[in-house]
Amino acid sequence: MSFLAFFFIVVSLVSFVAAQLILKRAMAATTTTGFRSAQFVSKVAGGIILMTISFFLTLGLLQRFDLSYLYPFQGLSVIFITLMAAVVLKEKLNTQLAIGALLISVGIVLVSMS
Amino acid sequence: MKSIPLREDDGALEKRMQNRPTGFGDPWLQLALSVACVLVSEFLLKRGATEVADPGSAWSWTGVNGLASPLVWWAILLIIASFVSWLYVLRYIPITVAFPLSRVVDILVPLGCWIFLGELISPLRWCGIALVVIGLALVAKPIAQIEERL
Repeated sequence: MSFLAFFFIVVSLVSFVAAQLILKRAMAATTTTGFRSAQFVSKVAGGIILMTISFFLTLGLLQRFDLSYLYPFQGLSVIFITLMAAVVLKEKLNTQLAIGALLISVGIVLVSMS
Repeated sequence: MKSIPLREDDGALEKRMQNRPTGFGDPWLQLALSVACVLVSEFLLKRGATEVADPGSAWSWTGVNGLASPLVWWAILLIIASFVSWLYVLRYIPITVAFPLSRVVDILVPLGCWIFLGELISPLRWCGIALVVIGLALVAKPIAQIEERL
């Protein structure tokens, strides 16, 4: 794998994780501010832009690598999002949830490697 | 168990779960629909992206040339549908629970190939599937306990 491929995989993963956190924050805010606030619209727009970047980068990577090769990197998103949601969004994260997310990540890597 | 300090405690989560819509608006049903759409779109994207692949093009890293395939457009429609469902799910379910559960799609693909296409699954892949299932059970258990109390 070239440096360029690794770079695009990392950018795709980071933009996907960031998008999920921003969207969660946007949707959580709707319970108090509703759907028409500028804060909600700007966060959803930001999330969609980041997801679009991640989508097209993944599409470009799919043209060069097998889906099974790229899947382990998608698996990492589970553990990253779970940890970042606890740190950034202050969501509850107990040991059971953390172990569950870790097992899912490792399981996805094994499924795609074999 | 030791927990990181909370913004949304169990009581608040339980209250929100209690007030969640039922029927088609049930966030768990929407999560299942979102997963189904992602599952189909993954196959369509891979097939569509491969049939129009042009690695020689400088722009091909961006994936934009994939838009020449109708399959990619069908996949985009499904992704939009799954995205709308996903936003709805995020309103009711913590992302630390919803996102790991949504990755059930990663074992549905090989299991679907095994059940419907008769493809063999290697022992290592079975181990991976088992790990994902155990992980899903660990993540879903607290929510299942809340559901039982409601």
